[in-house]
Amino acid sequence: MSEKKVNSTLVLMKNISKSFYGNKVNTDVEFKLEKGEIHALLGENGAGKTTLMNMLTGVYFPDEGEIYFKGKKLAFKFPGEALQIGIGMVHQRFSLVGNLTVLENLILGHPENKFIINIPEKKKLIKTYMDQFNFQIDLNAIVGELPIGLRQKVEILKMLVREVDVLIVDEPTTVLTKQEADNLMQILKNIAKTGKGIIFITHKMSEVFQIADKITVLRKGIKISTVNKNDTNPRELAKMMVGKESEITFDRPKVNTIPDVVKVQDLFVNSDKGVLAVNSLSFNVAGGEIIGIAGVSGNGQVELADALTGNRDIIRGKIFFKGKDISNDCPVDRIDKGVSYVPGDRINVGVAGSRSVWENIIMKVYRLPEFKKGLLLNNKKLREYADKIIEKYNISLPGINLPALLLSGGNLQKLIIGREMERDCDLYVFVYPTRGLDVGATDFVRNAILQLRNLGKAIILISGDFDEIFGLSDRIAVMYEGQFTGIFNNGDHSLEEIGLMMSGQSEEEVAKEMTNV
Amino acid sequence: MFKIKLEQKERVSKREDIIITLSAIVIALVLSGIFIAFNGVNPFVALWKVFTSALGSPYGISETLVKAIPLIFTGLAVGIALNSKLWNIGAEGQLFAGATLATAFVIYGPVLPKPLELTVLVTLGAIGGALWAAIPALLKIKFKMNEVISTLLLNYVAINIADYFLFGPWKGKDNFPYTPEFPTEAKLSRIGFGRVHSGLIIALVLVILLYILIYHTKAGFKLRMTGSSLKAAKYAGINIKKTMFMVFLLSGALAGLAGVCQITGIEYKLHQHISTGYGYTGIIVAWLARTNPFIIVIFAVFLSIMLKGADSLQIAMRLPAAVGTVMQALILFAILGSELFKTYNVKLIRGK
Repeated sequence: MSEKKVNSTLVLMKNISKSFYGNKVNTDVEFKLEKGEIHALLGENGAGKTTLMNMLTGVYFPDEGEIYFKGKKLAFKFPGEALQIGIGMVHQRFSLVGNLTVLENLILGHPENKFIINIPEKKKLIKTYMDQFNFQIDLNAIVGELPIGLRQKVEILKMLVREVDVLIVDEPTTVLTKQEADNLMQILKNIAKTGKGIIFITHKMSEVFQIADKITVLRKGIKISTVNKNDTNPRELAKMMVGKESEITFDRPKVNTIPDVVKVQDLFVNSDKGVLAVNSLSFNVAGGEIIGIAGVSGNGQVELADALTGNRDIIRGKIFFKGKDISNDCPVDRIDKGVSYVPGDRINVGVAGSRSVWENIIMKVYRLPEFKKGLLLNNKKLREYADKIIEKYNISLPGINLPALLLSGGNLQKLIIGREMERDCDLYVFVYPTRGLDVGATDFVRNAILQLRNLGKAIILISGDFDEIFGLSDRIAVMYEGQFTGIFNNGDHSLEEIGLMMSGQSEEEVAKEMTNV
Repeated sequence: MFKIKLEQKERVSKREDIIITLSAIVIALVLSGIFIAFNGVNPFVALWKVFTSALGSPYGISETLVKAIPLIFTGLAVGIALNSKLWNIGAEGQLFAGATLATAFVIYGPVLPKPLELTVLVTLGAIGGALWAAIPALLKIKFKMNEVISTLLLNYVAINIADYFLFGPWKGKDNFPYTPEFPTEAKLSRIGFGRVHSGLIIALVLVILLYILIYHTKAGFKLRMTGSSLKAAKYAGINIKKTMFMVFLLSGALAGLAGVCQITGIEYKLHQHISTGYGYTGIIVAWLARTNPFIIVIFAVFLSIMLKGADSLQIAMRLPAAVGTVMQALILFAILGSELFKTYNVKLIRGK
């Protein structure tokens, strides 16, 4: 009996830990995959799912722990080795050659290739796989001209041709339409029936229940639990994903609000890939109010923030700021009108990393008349202004003339927030403002946000940290696939309910679910 | 066996930066010496000859300065673009475009009083270069075309357009491909030191003006921000497309000035050889000087010493003309290679 069990186990990962630059990404994780099983790896972005799988495929080495494949311990010498022994991964970014045909892509890099390749024979072989798993792809089509859904199928077919035993798919449905996604799931189920193991990385609850046999939930790099699909429900999984409710409370005094500082009407925004990221969003923000936007990252939050601040073009819809239509204003006009943005990407967007600290502090005020000296800039006065901000916000730095990228994460964020607070705007958009910061800097940032609120500023806070959302927000909106699945006063819903909304259920559906149990 | 291991450096101090650059130049000179030795000439004698011929006599110095003038212009041209991380490989073509447009005025326009005539010519030279640079600028901004390719290819187009006029409508009386000599009104005055002409003064004034522009004006701030990070510049409210376009125009104008000063200051006519690759050598100058206009002057002079020295090696030591090009190439090669040591700590590790 026990021997049979050993044979059916494809992958066993034991006590896996991995850190990057001192940040633990995986802590003591255990993971097991059986033959013929579809195993979902569920967790928020940054929960450590992809890192764990990158260790299984030899892209990274674990700091601690052991990996067994079919009972044998693995020690990869190079990343390509995983595929050779039968572990294949389909990444979010495909690894196909765009200007070759489907057939050429499938043959390319196959270990059995000799100097001269017998193409008709390979074609016949590939056809058998296509028939077995019901793939419909034109082998002579140029990959770069195929729609993204088909390209993904080519990617999966490539793995099958390589005869992998373990197929890992990393958030495969993010780029697919609903029909394409359903079709993909059916194919994956067929593949599993032949005894191969499939690991399905996702953060979407609906997919988990559609496809998985077993589910492992990761949160902040730690394995929370592995459960059978039939023994669980969305509520339980949502709870595992988001964790416990916060104990931290912030003092939020009542302030007189100024209605409708920001009014967003029917807003549509595209992502960099040209996919709809913000889908018909409408909401208002008052002065003296913090609206916290929760959601798994990649659901349109950053695109929304970019669009509000003029850093991204909108497709349709209107943005009103203090009664005026600013939908088509360029960034500089919005800066002048009093829109402030603390972006999530501090190093690349928030500052020009290779420029000096002082230049980065003055980068939004240098145009003001007070810093002019005839035709020239008054560099002396600008430096004094920078000095003042460094002192006021207590930024510690190696030197004011040195590049900003030498600052620590916390001090860089202090620089950005100090720069923005000093400009005295009426709308502040914060994106992941405390991500990666230590406790002290986190406190500084949260207090700064509250201080701005108490001064009557309108604040949009996009965050993945529930302590922050619950501690600071007056109202909370939950964003899922470009829309709000709920928008309500802080306190109206529990963390568990928010977790369900984050995985796509509407406020009403959640209410029903909660009364059912 | 040894393995080479690279570790990312946090930053390079000014001192380290200078030491690495100077070492690269020394290595390039040593390699040039080996190359010269293969040609049967004592490399020490040859290198000594390079420096004495360029700096050993008033004549040598003046000729070195004559070569430095176009290099300052093209160095500034490439350098100002590098400030906002744009690669203008097209200074050579812009030089010809400027020279051709100015020549057109000499040939078809009226002869004006000297100060006015020269002002018009210099302005046209700058406009010609700027217009030629506007093409890759628009291609980049509208169609995201890589400026390295477009500026480089447009060099050949510009040179061939000049050739068209030289072999066609502007052909000289003796049927050779050069224009008639310019009237005195269209000749820049000499400053009383060999063939050194007042183009040098224009160049040095521009050095100061550009320094002020880059470090003391709003436009310069935008330019520097754009060069550091496009996303951050956009976030700071800077119109990056407009900034890039203006930088290209300015860069082209500077290269165009190199051309017009060459034909009005030295050659007094347009022909096929008004530039001995000054546009390309300008890339080396700008890369060595790292975008600071004053340092561009220093390296422009340094490279003109090389050019002048190579000329005399050819004459006095019967070395092939290619020696000069090889030396330049080795310097650029060594400098580019030295970048590695600025961004990484290079370590040798013993092991298999």
